[in-house]
Amino acid sequence: MFDFLKKKIGGFFKKEEETLTEVVEKPVSEHRAIEPKLTIATKLKKAIVRKAVIKEEDVHIMLEDFNLALLEADVAVSVADKITDDIKKRLVGKELSGKDDVKKVSESAIRESLRDVLKQEKVDFVSRVSHKKPFVILFLGPNGHGKTSTIGKVARYLQKNSLSSVIAAADTFRAASIEQVEKIAGRVGVKVIKQTYGSDPAAVCFDAVKYAEAHKVDVVLIDTAGRSELNTNLMEQLKKIVRVAKPDMKVYIGEALAGNAALEEAKKFNEMIGLDGIIMTKVDCDVKGGSLLSVSHVVKKPVLFITTGQELDNIMQFDEDWFIEKVI
Amino acid sequence: MLGKMKEVLAKITRAGTVDDALVKDIVRDIQRILISSDVNIELVQKLSREIEAKAREEKLPPGISRKEHLIKIIYGSLTEILGGESHNPRMDKHKILLVGLFGSGKTTACGKLAKFYSKRGLKTCILTTDVWRPAAYDQVKQIGQQVKVPVFGEDNEKNPITILKNNLDKTKGYDLVIVDSAGRDSLNKELTDEIKQIKSLLKPDEIYLVISADIGQTAVKQAQSFNEALGLTGVIATKTDASGKAGGALSACYIAKIPVTFISTGEKMEDFEIFDSKKFVSRLLGFPDLGELLKKAQEAAEESEFSPEDLLKEEYTLKTFYKQLEAMKKMGPLKKVFEMLGLAAMPEELVQTSEEKMKSYKFIMDSMTKKELGDPDTIKGDRIKRIAKGSGRPETEVRELLRQFDMSKKMLKKIKKGKRLTGQFGQLMKQFKGGM
Repeated sequence: MFDFLKKKIGGFFKKEEETLTEVVEKPVSEHRAIEPKLTIATKLKKAIVRKAVIKEEDVHIMLEDFNLALLEADVAVSVADKITDDIKKRLVGKELSGKDDVKKVSESAIRESLRDVLKQEKVDFVSRVSHKKPFVILFLGPNGHGKTSTIGKVARYLQKNSLSSVIAAADTFRAASIEQVEKIAGRVGVKVIKQTYGSDPAAVCFDAVKYAEAHKVDVVLIDTAGRSELNTNLMEQLKKIVRVAKPDMKVYIGEALAGNAALEEAKKFNEMIGLDGIIMTKVDCDVKGGSLLSVSHVVKKPVLFITTGQELDNIMQFDEDWFIEKVI
Repeated sequence: MLGKMKEVLAKITRAGTVDDALVKDIVRDIQRILISSDVNIELVQKLSREIEAKAREEKLPPGISRKEHLIKIIYGSLTEILGGESHNPRMDKHKILLVGLFGSGKTTACGKLAKFYSKRGLKTCILTTDVWRPAAYDQVKQIGQQVKVPVFGEDNEKNPITILKNNLDKTKGYDLVIVDSAGRDSLNKELTDEIKQIKSLLKPDEIYLVISADIGQTAVKQAQSFNEALGLTGVIATKTDASGKAGGALSACYIAKIPVTFISTGEKMEDFEIFDSKKFVSRLLGFPDLGELLKKAQEAAEESEFSPEDLLKEEYTLKTFYKQLEAMKKMGPLKKVFEMLGLAAMPEELVQTSEEKMKSYKFIMDSMTKKELGDPDTIKGDRIKRIAKGSGRPETEVRELLRQFDMSKKMLKKIKKGKRLTGQFGQLMKQFKGGM
């Protein structure tokens, strides 16, 4: 999980360290010769003799490499730029002394920057959901990112935390979407409220909320049809669902495989609908993991869960510190 | 991507001279654009080195300015990597196996392929071996009904090989057999083994990998590993109507040397096109391809009574406007077509006119006199009231129709001007037509 991102960021430090060793082993006269390629490491070597301040040109090459590493890990271009800029701000002007460990200095700058991108108010999902009855959660996102499977996983998660749920089959467009949600619900053992294909998804949601009220069900999980964020009519339909169902939480489902489009997709959904949280799916795939940073950055709402496999139990709460430890 | 690429070209045309600094600057811009479109990073670096080298070393062909030469180099390099060969779909009797990961759109692609080929006269059927996804069988069944082709498969059997064995005989009388396979989160051993077994039993003529247009740097590895395991003969890029630029999918094809065959452009079964590299790159670069525009408009015209020439010749009336809206519904967002013109983008509001709106516009226009239809400028206050009453639609809607008509008319004027575009831009066009 996130191995690629780790390789990119971790490998990056290794390079820095190598430069350091290289510089240490060389006599002073020689390391003057490589001065045009100054890195923090060489700067630090100098700093052993006297104090040194990191200048922009010292970190320029390193940051360009780092930027590229982020891009290779599928972080969207604008977000990669932002992170790199942020690291630059943290490093440039910093005073180094001989006692400072270069690796630690740059590592902590990167750590802080990543935390900045990911930092959102902490949501205790279970207690938040228990707050109101029924608590209505709307799941939305592009086609094929795993909304329906994720809803099954959330239903199971709620069940484990002694909360009952009912699923509204509000994807009335895609072939066999209703059968799919019914099969998944059957595995978890929760009820599905449905109508026929082509019926108004908002009406299905209305029925589901009414059902939950009458039967004292804790949570309503609304499965919507995947849609292209650029299709205005479908986005209007989603707005209508929001007006009718009045969800307490609107959760965006994005897949970890996505590249730069992850940013545009999440951005459009957020602008049109207003999101409250994110679930990142398919994290177990051979993914680079960068889209999590992109989506989190544009939506500016917490990543609630990541899903990590094909089984109903493959869902875990997301924690930014865990993520950062994973990649650095 | 389109807009940005145009800015880069504008930068070249605006520049005083073409020197190393400009080339470097331009190459950097192109790098950013390609990376934002998820083109593989190594490929981007290779491409930029090539452009730089060619710009420095290649001799200037006679009769072409240095600026034009630079644009030509860029166009050429991009076409090579992103375009590849245009696909020429085979029309003989054959079997297609579709493979891909979860959520890439395999099953939908099945339906689209079936529709594409059956419309062109091949007796087509679908055989589904996906036992993994809940309700997969129902999904294919329903899609089969939509596109009117028979579907074979079994609902309760859990072994794809058994399904294939039991059903293969039934497909014998068909020209084209499309076989859907199950996806997984990643290409693991289990999936590889499963598809290999299907492959040896089915002996497909074509194996297409289905990749979503929004996938990032993972694309290359995905295509490579599928290719190594199964020997792909093509790729279908799906969801190209959303934000994804298919850069990942396209560079994957280039690196793994697999042709792109079809692209999927929307959620309806007919939103499916043969991959045409020239068209794709010209759309990418924002250069007009008038031939393509006319062809597409003509196709739509056959179904509705809309003639695209009317737009450019005849006086533009509400009638033409309505026909245009109708044709637009048929040919999908006209926006793309106008984008091909590289000049004006269709106002979003018009592109997204809903089916219900179209109906009420029809009622409203039925309540107008011939004179009003021909000269909508005469429709003011009392007439609006009368039309609203006659059609049973609110006055606001009558006004909305008139406003949209106006919008469309203004835009058309721009395009008419654009058609006569000469000067630097026009010359560039000629260069490309002659040189490429």
